[in-house]
Amino acid sequence: MRKVLITVRLPRGASLESAMRHLDLAEDEVDAGYGLIPVDPAKDLYAMRVTEDASRRTAGDHPEVSGPYADPPIEPMEPYGRPE
Amino acid sequence: MRVLIQLRPSPDLVAAVADPTVAVTASDVADGLPGVVLDHSFAPVAVPRPVPATPGGDPLSLSQPLTFSMRPEEASVVVCGEIADDEISTRVSLLPMTRGEVVAVYSDPVIESSLTCGDDPAVGDRHDVARLLRVTDLAAEGLDGSGVALAVVDTGINAAHVERVLGHDITVDRDRSWSPAGVSGKPGEHPVDHGTMCAFDALISAPNASLLDMPVLLSRRRGGSTLDGLLSDAIAAYAHLRNVLEAQPAESRALVITNSWGSFSPRWDFPPGNPGNYSDNPAHPFNLIIGSLAEAGADILFAAGNCGRECRDSRCAFPDRPIVGANSHPKVLSIGGVDTNGQRVGYSSQGPGRLAERKPDFCAYTHFAGSQAFGDDEPDSGTSAACPVAAGLVAAVRTLWPSAKLSASQLRTLLRRTADDRSDVGYDYDYGYGVVDAAGVIAALRRRAAKAA
Repeated sequence: MRKVLITVRLPRGASLESAMRHLDLAEDEVDAGYGLIPVDPAKDLYAMRVTEDASRRTAGDHPEVSGPYADPPIEPMEPYGRPE
Repeated sequence: MRVLIQLRPSPDLVAAVADPTVAVTASDVADGLPGVVLDHSFAPVAVPRPVPATPGGDPLSLSQPLTFSMRPEEASVVVCGEIADDEISTRVSLLPMTRGEVVAVYSDPVIESSLTCGDDPAVGDRHDVARLLRVTDLAAEGLDGSGVALAVVDTGINAAHVERVLGHDITVDRDRSWSPAGVSGKPGEHPVDHGTMCAFDALISAPNASLLDMPVLLSRRRGGSTLDGLLSDAIAAYAHLRNVLEAQPAESRALVITNSWGSFSPRWDFPPGNPGNYSDNPAHPFNLIIGSLAEAGADILFAAGNCGRECRDSRCAFPDRPIVGANSHPKVLSIGGVDTNGQRVGYSSQGPGRLAERKPDFCAYTHFAGSQAFGDDEPDSGTSAACPVAAGLVAAVRTLWPSAKLSASQLRTLLRRTADDRSDVGYDYDYGYGVVDAAGVIAALRRRAAKAA
């Protein structure tokens, strides 16, 4: 299922497991390969990828959750004319 | 921006301008126009007034018989000047209102045979770039990248290729490199591609830097087969880089991050104004982590992009202001491209940026024969090459100037201030503050060192 990017404020040193417990997320709702990424430690802000349903649910239940945020493809800045 | 200003001064003055035996200067015609730097090398030119040949004709239509009147009461005069890019709309509106003799203000676009575009052959080679970047002088100052971590966030590095073309050993710091989940291959052993070009170009002025290989664009989490990743991969990469930075002793922190990539289309983004938007939103988590890392002392450089008006990359889908998201972040250096003749390449994106208006910050060299990553005759091109060329200079500076001695913010200011300005009024949206000037950087560092002594 498609995953989207959200942020959540958690106590410093949080793990993916503690985040899942805190947000009441099941294993199949989370991109475990991506994990829990510290965005700004000074603000206890983390990023994770969850299903769209989980994103809507957690954002409704937890004010410390924000998103979903755009997660666009990123590509090299090559000029056109470059041979494939 | 260069402009043509049409004025209707007194008939005596118009007659003088039209008379080739009388010398009239731009100041005689248009002195004191607010916000306009007059081009005094451009002699005022009298312009005839079109008059319909038949009474009652439309005075503005060129699709009819016309005569042209040079009578001093009807003709006008044109002078040249320059208005700061960020004042252009205001000045153009106000000038005719504040100075009654001003009839109109027109753009005065540069007309050239051609700008270097994506499919043009190389302009110069890496030795020209090394000369322009004063690599010999940098080395004499002890500025060669030794001890500096230089992260290449791209498609991965092939160290053997770089060493073969450069002709000397390089250092890939495998322990501090990082890959997204699912990306195979060891640091420094990825296929020769875009990231190898970036690494090569960064090493031109910082040959002893330690490369951190961050093959974010090899991520296949989206299931695609082309070279792309997701912005969330870059967030994870930057979280790793913050650990790298914080593990360095505070007194000798030196981490330079070069990014020759971006997001090309609003199709994958929320619209500006939506809280989840990336392109225009400083609160997007990637833009937050950029700010956090820059505050911690990292030097972050992004390619401005290849969406220049003259020959844009066909992938460019933003209808305007193509320098978006982190590429326009106020705490990064956004790098445009010039060829080794110092002329802007036609594909180099123009400002203003979306997060910060004054983007690009400055330009560096591109479109030269360098890494051969795409074949022996293919130039290192795009702002993709300009960005690591500038990052190499930053890494060279960091050899003796860690962020404890010269903060990331101070270094950004120094690079902007010393750039070789390409307009008469400072900042412009084509070149930013100008073309990177290594000699100016060296001189500024010497002054700073002398002051500190």
